[in-house]
Amino acid sequence: MKRKGFASILLVLTFLVSAQAAFAGRGITVKGSDTMVILGQRWAEQYMNQNAGQIVQVTGGGSGTGIAALINGTTDICQSSRPMKQDEKLKLRDRYQTMGVEVPVAKDGLSVFLHESNPVKDLTIEQLKGIYTGTITNWKQVGGRDATIILYGRENSSGTYGFFKDNVLAGRDFAASCQTLPGTAAVVNAVSRDPNGIGYGGAAYTKGVRDCAVRKDAKSPAIMPTAATVHDGSYPLTRYLYYYLRKPAQGDVKKFLAWVLSPAGQKLAVDVGYYPLK
Amino acid sequence: MKWMSGSTFAAGLLLLCSLVSPAAAQEESVSEADTAHVTHAQLLRVLEGYTEQIQSMTGDLEKLKKIKFSGYVQARVENGEASSDSVKVAGSPYAVTTANLNRFHVRRARLKMTYDTGALSQAVVYVDGGADRTMRLLEAYVTLLDPWTPLHDHQLTIGQFNIPFGYEIERSSSARELPERSRAENVLFSGERDRGVKVVSQWTPRLQTTVGLFNGGGVNSADFPTTDPTRGKDFLGRVRWSQGVFDVAGSYYFGRNIVPLTGADVMTDKERFGLDVQAYYSMPALGGGTVRAEWFLAHEINSDSVKALVVAPATGNPVRLLKAGANAGHLATDASGGYLMWVQNVGDRAQGVVRWDTWDPNADADHDQYSRWSAGANWFFDGFTRVTLSYDAIRTEARTGSKWTDPQDNLWTLQVQHKF
Repeated sequence: MKRKGFASILLVLTFLVSAQAAFAGRGITVKGSDTMVILGQRWAEQYMNQNAGQIVQVTGGGSGTGIAALINGTTDICQSSRPMKQDEKLKLRDRYQTMGVEVPVAKDGLSVFLHESNPVKDLTIEQLKGIYTGTITNWKQVGGRDATIILYGRENSSGTYGFFKDNVLAGRDFAASCQTLPGTAAVVNAVSRDPNGIGYGGAAYTKGVRDCAVRKDAKSPAIMPTAATVHDGSYPLTRYLYYYLRKPAQGDVKKFLAWVLSPAGQKLAVDVGYYPLK
Repeated sequence: MKWMSGSTFAAGLLLLCSLVSPAAAQEESVSEADTAHVTHAQLLRVLEGYTEQIQSMTGDLEKLKKIKFSGYVQARVENGEASSDSVKVAGSPYAVTTANLNRFHVRRARLKMTYDTGALSQAVVYVDGGADRTMRLLEAYVTLLDPWTPLHDHQLTIGQFNIPFGYEIERSSSARELPERSRAENVLFSGERDRGVKVVSQWTPRLQTTVGLFNGGGVNSADFPTTDPTRGKDFLGRVRWSQGVFDVAGSYYFGRNIVPLTGADVMTDKERFGLDVQAYYSMPALGGGTVRAEWFLAHEINSDSVKALVVAPATGNPVRLLKAGANAGHLATDASGGYLMWVQNVGDRAQGVVRWDTWDPNADADHDQYSRWSAGANWFFDGFTRVTLSYDAIRTEARTGSKWTDPQDNLWTLQVQHKF
């Protein structure tokens, strides 16, 4: 009877090892930020073109979704438009005994989108906070026309949502009237159709809407998100875009990461609309 | 009958006409629309209609997204060293006990529902239907987040939840590397949960404090699982310093225990100290690893002392009394125990673990100590399913004639867990 028990256990383990072998060699998987999904796909395409036999699969879902996938082991690389939170690092540590490896891969300016017809030229961080927490509700309160401000934002699984909440709202909650949309393209589309709308998202998506200049405070100059202002950090809503790994990169992942950080990979980031690290 | 048939036929025809007419009219208008240009205004109206529908559905979806379900199932095959085919029948009414430990077993089948408004409060209801197939409430609590700090650094929780003492208790069974917690924790905090209130404060990213008040019995208490016989509440405090690769915490618990007797009850102090440390490291070729240790010191009711000093009620003598000459002061004893464990990841999907744990329920008595060596391997089949193979070598003492021997009670466990 005992022999049968051990044989069963051995059989199950053999099955698991075989199944694991079948999973192996599926290439590199990259999952996470919707802001970075186009950038990630372009990186993957060019890398695969230059490295025959290499497979890199890129999918979106939001930074939060990518981090969850990194923790449960369903992706090799998480791409995130915000730093990992402490509780996410603890979850990763709980499973892998490591706090993860953070690799900045590009820079981005988080744009504030306005309708082309909106007369407001610039806003301070404090005004943006007031607008998105619901204490400022009419454009005339910030020098615009007498019209209700319509808020567009991202879902809470989005890294852009997290960055905006942490750096503009200082952690406060968004106003209940803020309409959440599944991607930056959808935010841009909504603002382009709404003369009283305001939205936020990666600078690379600004098409059919107008970027609003941002001031750190009332005394600071109004800064537009440009290559120069994002690169030197003078634009107040400058952020890094990250790749996260469970442990230091090895093998194919290490090669891919080295290429992303190489001049060729960084040039591609600029071509897509983002900014290089150096 | 013939008239009836005619009448029914006529009514059917009428109904058919009434259904067909609007369809025909619609067809006509569609064909008209086909021949005319669709104006910008008409298109906008159609789009606005769709936008309203989508906004309505989005609103409903947002409400549903606040309800989150999670849980896990742990199905096992257990192979016990002392297993046999014998069945014992004893007592009146009779009770059947089996010595066999070779079995298929569902250890945990848990479902957690969280209602997260995303604002300043959260509610959780958590049930378990594993083990004895009875659905029981594990946790039910409300958490309030402080509105005055951006990251809600202070949180108050009230209800039934894990007792925030030490490290092992609050760590989910679905995350633990070995199938069961240490013996010391199992005895001191049986069931791991109690009813009470706690305040968790994150003073800095590294410093966290927890204070709480509890009924004191715990959910597995034989006498008081949901009630509290004393007006005073048990107090708990914990300070945790978390550096990231090295965490350390000290815990303290003080309360009162009642041994219910026929006549005057006996009340004793209950005091527990805990110290836990976790150190993490990473090896490039293998992956992460951790060494953890936790130690408990306690002074509290000892179930063996209760058995020895209290006369249990029987059919002919339905009273519960201290034995003649028994010293009530001996019901509570000094106890100590803890564990030391090592976990090593091997790549992303495999993990090895070794643990030694010990428990001494009475520092003044011999032959009642418990110790166990456990070794296990985890295989992460995918992101949600884990297979665990573990072996527990348990050392206790039982009297056989004039000798004390270690009973044959070592255990193999093969567990498949799916977490969702």
